[in-house]
Amino acid sequence: MDNSKRRFLKGCGGVIAGMSVYTVTQPPQANTAEQVSELKYAMVHDENLCIGCNACEDACRKVNNVPDGVTRVNIERSGPFGEYPNQSYRFSRHSCQHCEAAPCVKVCPTGAAYIDEETGIVAVNEDRCVGCQYCIAACPYQIRFINPETRVADKCDFCQQTQLSEGLLPACVLACPTNALVFGNLKDPASALVKTLKSKPTYRDKVDLGTRPKLFHVRTIDGEIVL
Amino acid sequence: MSAFHFDGLVWHWPIAIYLFLAGLSAGAVFFAIMLKHFKLADKAYLSPFVQAAAVIAPIAVCAGLGILVIDLTKPLAFWKILVFYNTSSVMSMGVLVLLVYQVMLFAWLGSVFSTPIQQWLKQRLPLLSKLLAQLARHEDVITGVLVILSLSLGAYTGFLLSALIGFPLLNNPVLPLLFLISGLSSGAAATLLGGVLMRGNPNGVEVRFIHRIEIPMILVEIALLFTFFAGLILSGGQSQVAAMKAIGEGFWGWIFWAGVVGVGLTLPLAFNLWMKVSSDRKFAYVAVTASFSLIGVLLLRNFILYTGQMTAV
Repeated sequence: MDNSKRRFLKGCGGVIAGMSVYTVTQPPQANTAEQVSELKYAMVHDENLCIGCNACEDACRKVNNVPDGVTRVNIERSGPFGEYPNQSYRFSRHSCQHCEAAPCVKVCPTGAAYIDEETGIVAVNEDRCVGCQYCIAACPYQIRFINPETRVADKCDFCQQTQLSEGLLPACVLACPTNALVFGNLKDPASALVKTLKSKPTYRDKVDLGTRPKLFHVRTIDGEIVL
Repeated sequence: MSAFHFDGLVWHWPIAIYLFLAGLSAGAVFFAIMLKHFKLADKAYLSPFVQAAAVIAPIAVCAGLGILVIDLTKPLAFWKILVFYNTSSVMSMGVLVLLVYQVMLFAWLGSVFSTPIQQWLKQRLPLLSKLLAQLARHEDVITGVLVILSLSLGAYTGFLLSALIGFPLLNNPVLPLLFLISGLSSGAAATLLGGVLMRGNPNGVEVRFIHRIEIPMILVEIALLFTFFAGLILSGGQSQVAAMKAIGEGFWGWIFWAGVVGVGLTLPLAFNLWMKVSSDRKFAYVAVTASFSLIGVLLLRNFILYTGQMTAV
């Protein structure tokens, strides 16, 4: 009995020793921080300028080949607010928030969901995705979906594969008739994005979850106060 | 809003069955080890209850994984989950635990049943004989590691869901403990049911041993369930909304009170206490009590999975 206990403890000791050696052999974290990119994309949606025309959704669908029945972006309409004839609707953009601490990236078992170090975009590596849908369940903004054609988790990637690779702005930004969407580099103080962020009060969704999203909203100011 | 289809629902019942089977396998292994260690010693392989656990544990874990793979949107790509790992992902670490668990489970089965297998082999396949002898010699180490792995697997089924930060009912620190304890009790029930079906003595030493553990375990489970929902309600906000929506109304409210609390916990507890005072156990008593426990745990898994996804933050 004592003998078997001793052998079990020995085994445990061996495992612990092996694990500690393994962690020492890991590359130190500082190595990856060396090349800090000068690029970090973000977006502002000005809910005062948005008229809810859905041009952004249509453009996104066309450019990124998003099948019917699913969408990477949609404009949620709430209201009407106020008394007739002074009534208005409110519009809120519902799409990937490109979180700095993305829950989808954290839970993905294969690393198919990842943050592009170059641009800060939360992207999907289609080859690696097995379709466990853990990311879809983990996203607190519920914007991920399974693309019925590729059978892979899909979502907004700021047109990383399409428009950005050709040096163009994301399709939704170009399509917006009222310029309610501003896209740009957070690290560039001269960018329209940073200027907008510094001149208008913005909010981000569900920040208390610690996700640090990069989709900013300018809140609607007309109409009644809603609690 | 229907009970099985609503906005925001991502994971359906196959995941609940997988969680149930993984916990059941872990529990069956845990109790088989306890039976051997505390009661049966070298005669363990002769006990129908240990034999039942030895059949149930590998089949349950393999069936659960099979369901999981079929439920992927790309089932044929499942091997990628075994090749690529992400240390921050509960699922990825769970895959690792499951892999090692299965290897150790078969090693343990080989070591515990080495005597009958050796007799059956009769000098055929000398390589296999040698391997079995090796396994039997290291049974203590294998057993120790397997106990840790089975507990890890039982808790993992809870951590998998509690990592989902967008759902207050799931993102709950009590959930892994609740799933661990209920998984163990489902394993005990499956071992008992399988054992008596394989003509084990319903009044034997194994049944008495497991029943003695089962009563405090049911009480702990009730306490955990109470803490789980009391904690949610006291947190206020969406946590409270989620808790009240789950246990306070509708289809899932009935499943919880009648199925999980009534059939799954209260009746088995009453039967166990009755069998303890009457000190006479018959086949029907043991089988019915075990079946009720199993139904209760299966309902609990479905209840938590569905109601958890009903309310987002």
